[in-house]
Order: sequence, then structure tokens, then C-alpha cells
Amino acid sequence: MISKIFAILYKDFKIEINQSHLFFSVGLYVISSIYIIYISYQPTGILSLEHWVSIFWVIILFSSISAVSKSFFQESGNRNYYYYYVLSPDELIFSKLIYNFLFIVFVTFLTFIIFSFLLGNFIYSFSFFLSLLLVGALSISNCLTLISAIGHQVKNNSILISVLSFPVIIPILLLLIRLSKISSSEFSWNLIQDDFYLLILLNIILVAMTKILFGYLWRN
Amino acid sequence: MRYIKILCVLLLTFTATAGILFEVPRLPILNETIRVLYFHVPMWFTMIFLLLLSSVNAYRFISTKNIKYDLISYNYAHVGVYFGVLGILTGMVWANYTWGTFWTNDPKLNGSAIGLLIYFGYFILRNSIEDESKKAKVSSVYSVFAFSMLIPLIFILPRLTDSLHPGNGGNPGFNVYDLNSQLRIVFYPAVIGFICLGLWIADVKHKLLKITNKR
Repeated sequence: MISKIFAILYKDFKIEINQSHLFFSVGLYVISSIYIIYISYQPTGILSLEHWVSIFWVIILFSSISAVSKSFFQESGNRNYYYYYVLSPDELIFSKLIYNFLFIVFVTFLTFIIFSFLLGNFIYSFSFFLSLLLVGALSISNCLTLISAIGHQVKNNSILISVLSFPVIIPILLLLIRLSKISSSEFSWNLIQDDFYLLILLNIILVAMTKILFGYLWRN
Repeated sequence: MRYIKILCVLLLTFTATAGILFEVPRLPILNETIRVLYFHVPMWFTMIFLLLLSSVNAYRFISTKNIKYDLISYNYAHVGVYFGVLGILTGMVWANYTWGTFWTNDPKLNGSAIGLLIYFGYFILRNSIEDESKKAKVSSVYSVFAFSMLIPLIFILPRLTDSLHPGNGGNPGFNVYDLNSQLRIVFYPAVIGFICLGLWIADVKHKLLKITNKR
């Protein structure tokens, strides 16, 4: 099973390198949206932590939706039939989960670097915030992968993916924003443990539901 | 079904009369608005109950592929959302008299609003697919997935933060209802009565849907 997952991942990355315009378009999306924020906050720049954190996560949310929504669209119809004979649904969905996770990690770190370069940095406890970015990327990818598989069933309807994913992703985003606000001060495990455990719990629920439901969704 | 109807009529008649006429505890700020407990809270109980039935039926559909369960699931979701909207409206009227505003940024309010958004997304998804069996499959999968996120949203997240809403600290108001037997006498029948009403409406809608589908 694991070798098959890696085979699909390898194939996905090869496609990604061959069609690098998709990869760069997401990067450009991030950069241009941050630049719009930068211009609109002139001349003072962002002054409060609340603005910084909320705009930061909103940019990550929108760019990850556009990044993830193509992960199933780039598979052509014939290739899906081929997968149907070769793979089990679990193998396919786990490879997509890992692939989306890596992609969103790239998006979050790119956003963080450019955001703190242009708009200043409010983060005090760095190591905690970086691990929060990793956990956040994991949660967002867990949340969006099944939704993008649902959106794939509805032909060329990328707006539907964003409509369907907003309400589902809001609890995760609330937790991430709350935890990021905490990371602007000195790190203390007592402050974060409730929210952090809840985030882990939500991830477990999401992965379990994705694994169970994708099998039903995929079979035609 | 007949017993549910009889129970519903009896209990709701009792709720409507006793809810307005019976003695209630006098509390500052709340005063007579405490009676909204009989009409606002049961709406949410009913909504959660109906949405639970909806997602159970959605799961039954994806495991059996019987289109009947998909119709049932859609029906329950529809009626459940009606009750959710009524719950928000009754809550807003109450909030206007006690908090002085119709809407505030409160975890419970946000949770319920987002919960309704999830089901509006579900209806949009259903309407955007033409093919019947595909519509049933995709929307059932989304319904089960979304319901599994609704539970932490409504039941866990609000408990982790301070809330203005009665029931978890802050406002002394409805913590009393845990103790006060006067309120309980009307509150429990009201919950059961409204759940029966929800089941009744869903039953009528289901019959209507079956007739229109046949034609």
C-alpha cells in the first residue's frame, strides 16, 4: 500500500514539474494578494495583532482552496478509470492527502515569509508558530481534500468547492486564529493545551471521515 | 405515527398555555423573557435531532444504495433547517430585550449560524447536480462529512470560551433552570412536543415528495 501511495505521489510531483504554471500561479496568487493588503494598509502598515493574524489566515485559506481544488481536476477521465482497476480508494485518498499537505505547507510558509517581509512581524514565540503553521496546513488539507473530491464529481464547478468548504473549515480557522494570537506573547503550554488538543481531535475526525466516505464517493 | 401526532397536539397545547400562564422565577434583567426558554431552546433540540436523523439516513443511503433513504435524509435536513431558522429568530427577539442587540459576536451564535450555512451549502450542492443517483451519492457524502464537523462546532467550541449566552457561566439567568422545577415542568414537555411536530412535518413532506416523484 505504501509503495503505491509513493508511486502516485511521485507521479503527481512529475506532473507538477511538467506543468509548472499551476504551481507558480498559486505562488503568484499569494504574492499579489499580500501586495494588495500591503498597498491598502499604507502609510501606517498593520498596527494591531488582530488584523495581522486574521488577514494572514484568510490569505492562506483562499490560496489553499485554489491550490487544492485543482488536485482532483488535473486527473483526466481516462486516468480515473485506470486508477479504478489498479488502486484501492484508501491508497488514492491518502496520497492526495499527503500531496495536498505538502502543497499547503509550501503555501503557508511562502505566505509567512512574504507577509512578515512586507507587513512586519507580530510573532514572539517562533518555534511554536512554525509548528502551528505545520498543524494548520495539515488541518486545512484534511478538511479540503474530501471537499475537492466532492467538487470533482460536479463538473467544472470550482466555486462550489469554496462554498462547500467555508462552513466546514471555520471551526479549524477559529482555533488557528486563536492559537496564533497566543503566539504573539511568551509561550506557555497551559495557555494553548485545550485548543491544541481540540485541533488534534478535529484532525482525527476529519481523516477518519475522509477515509470512510471517499470509498463510497469514488465507486461509480 | 398516529401516537406521535396525538402526543404532539397534547404537549404543544400544554406548552402554549402553561408556558404563558404558569408562574416563573423572577430574575433581574430576564423578568418575563425567561419564558423564551420554552420556545427557543426546543427549536435547537429539534433541529439537532432532525439533522442527526438526516445524516443517519444519508449514511444508510451510501451503504445500501437505496434511493429511498436519500429522500428521507433530504427531507429531515429541510425540516431541521426550518427549525434552526426559527431558533435563530426567537433567540434574536430575546437577545434584543436582554442584551439590547439582535446579534453579537458570541461563540454559540456563530456556531449556530455556521451550522445553518453548512446545510445551505448542502441544498446548493443538491440543486447543482442533474443526475439523480449522483446527486444522492454526492450530497449524502457531504451531509455525513458536514454533520461530523457540526458536532464540535456547536457542542465543544462554545464550552472552551466565555460566552454571554445562558447555560455556560457569565449570565446567571438560565443556570437556574437546572434547579428550578417550575421551569422543568413545562420545558421537557415542550422539547418532546416540538420534536414530535418536527417528525410530523417531515412525514407530511415525505408523502408529498413521494407523490410528486411518482407523477
